[in-house]
Amino acid sequence: MRVLLIEDEPILAQAVREHVAAAGHAVDWFDRLDDAEAALATVSYELVLLDLQLPDGRGLDLLRGMRRRGASTPVIILTARDRVSDRIEGLNAGADDYLVKPFDLDELGARIQAVARRYGGNPNPLFAAKGVEIDQAQRRVRVNGAAVNLTSREWAVLDQLLRRPNALVSKTHIEDALCAFGSEIESNAVEVYMSRLRKKLGRDLIGTVRGVGYRLET
Amino acid sequence: MTRPDSISRRLTLALTGLVAVLWLLAAAVSTAVIRHELNEAFDSALQETAQRLLPLAVADLFAQETLEPPLTAAATGIAEHREYLTYQVRDGSGRVLLRSHDAREAAFAVPLARGFSNTAGFRVYTEPTISDTVFIQVAEPLAHRREALVESAAMLLLPVLLLVPLSALAIAAIVRRGLRPVAALRDAIERRGGDNLAPLDRQPLPDELAPIAAAVDHLLARLRAAVEAERSFAANSAHELRTPIAAALAQTQRLAAALADGPNAERVDRIEATLRRLQRLVSKLLQLARADAGIGAGGGRVDLLPALRAVVDEYARDQRGRGRLRLDDGGHARLEAAVDIDGFGIVMANLVENALVHGTPGAPVTVRIDADGAVHVVNAGPVVPAATLATLTHRFARGTGTGEGAGLGLAIAEAILRQSGGRLVIRSPAGGQSDGFEAVVILEYEKDGGRGWD
Repeated sequence: MRVLLIEDEPILAQAVREHVAAAGHAVDWFDRLDDAEAALATVSYELVLLDLQLPDGRGLDLLRGMRRRGASTPVIILTARDRVSDRIEGLNAGADDYLVKPFDLDELGARIQAVARRYGGNPNPLFAAKGVEIDQAQRRVRVNGAAVNLTSREWAVLDQLLRRPNALVSKTHIEDALCAFGSEIESNAVEVYMSRLRKKLGRDLIGTVRGVGYRLET
Repeated sequence: MTRPDSISRRLTLALTGLVAVLWLLAAAVSTAVIRHELNEAFDSALQETAQRLLPLAVADLFAQETLEPPLTAAATGIAEHREYLTYQVRDGSGRVLLRSHDAREAAFAVPLARGFSNTAGFRVYTEPTISDTVFIQVAEPLAHRREALVESAAMLLLPVLLLVPLSALAIAAIVRRGLRPVAALRDAIERRGGDNLAPLDRQPLPDELAPIAAAVDHLLARLRAAVEAERSFAANSAHELRTPIAAALAQTQRLAAALADGPNAERVDRIEATLRRLQRLVSKLLQLARADAGIGAGGGRVDLLPALRAVVDEYARDQRGRGRLRLDDGGHARLEAAVDIDGFGIVMANLVENALVHGTPGAPVTVRIDADGAVHVVNAGPVVPAATLATLTHRFARGTGTGEGAGLGLAIAEAILRQSGGRLVIRSPAGGQSDGFEAVVILEYEKDGGRGWD
């Protein structure tokens, strides 16, 4: 997923960014609302992690603006405001979740997955087919009972396919997910990661529709 | 007027006293004037009498055969009677030649010269005749004048007896009427309890009271600002403290993820555990600060159901409460009480957290609203001994559990509920169970007059 992190505390932001990236998501980080607004206007994010108190305004205003424009991008609020009225206000403004600082990075990871699943239409974090068990929330994969490690970019590709098992996912869509990691990617990058995933998870799991895209086959 | 130091009593006493003193002064002056006028009138009458009497007395004297003094007027053929004025006729040597029958025998001890003089109890007028060889002296008892004076003065003083109580009553009534705005202002200030720091109703006030009302308003505004400052300090310091702890915790967790198992990884785990404890303690202390700032005493009635849902939802998403927490709203569409919504949030968060942390791991925790609108938080777990139960709402008291808590949760919940007129009841085993712990939040205990919860 491509994630927008809006947080003005750099030490916290760095740790969150690393953690979310390690889970296979591409993270853009901004510490000001105006920069974040500019990024939202040009990039289509799949999740926003939003602090409420920022140097140039209130995070809730950004959230309300997004919802007014009809953007349905999921938003998780990360804030030090622990009052229940703040929580109600945040959720009423259109946030999908509300996490009070200090939070567990693992807890954040679980909430991100839960929100992503809700939006992806597949609320089940567990996938099992053809001897492959995938726990998206825990970031664990077992093939025929043996644990397999995936890199964060491999996860990014797999997440796209896991959103809708058996549905076709276009190659450009997967390219976008990889682009989010920032570095230039080769024109055959998608093919490269698909072959790596097939090597790790088995040949049958990922099907190719030539010239169109890929799908997870159960 | 029964209070020992009331303005109206002092005013009534002082004004009544002043009226009495003024009346007495007026009476004294009048008496002095009357006395002067009386003396003039009496003196003039005395002089007139002496001058009219003189030729008669001289004629009487010459008609006597013998000049053997003293003669009385009786000897001259006048019958005896009680006299108001008495007289003596004396010669140049002072001998009494003739006297009226009530006049004393001894000569008046006054000089033989024309004019008035006083002697023992008498006012005497002396009139000479026959080339200052014979004198007539007419005496009038002073007691008579005194009596006239005393009677007049008494008539002047008599009204004071009526005047004092009458004016006291009238003044008291006027003062009370005049102080009515003061009483109204007092009532308005009294109505401002500890929680209502709104300005006074600015009804038109007399010039004397307007500055007081303004000063009270000013004071209320400062108090309000101080309370607000205290509350916003608690809220701001929450932010100031939470963010660095969050940063440290997140960095530590990243470090733990990066380190392979080994002595350093253990050390990082210990740092992480310490940071979590610090986080819990800070959050409890901030809640305690808010409770001490009186967060519980809310303004108007609000619907608390959204807050309850938000709290339960928060813990249901959390690792600790995932799959364990259930909210039974008892069919209530609203849960209304005059409680600060954030105070209520703190109460419920503490009770739910306690139930999750101290209950049997994995066992369900139920949050239930009963028919009376009381909120029950019930878990499963070992029964808490009665002796421990009694100390649980004390600050820094812990049960026999894992020792994870700061020992403040129930104390905070209890303090906030007490401020809002509610009550916290805890019992173990939970109602209808053989084990577990139950906390009951009664939102409006005082209003209900106290139901038999224990």
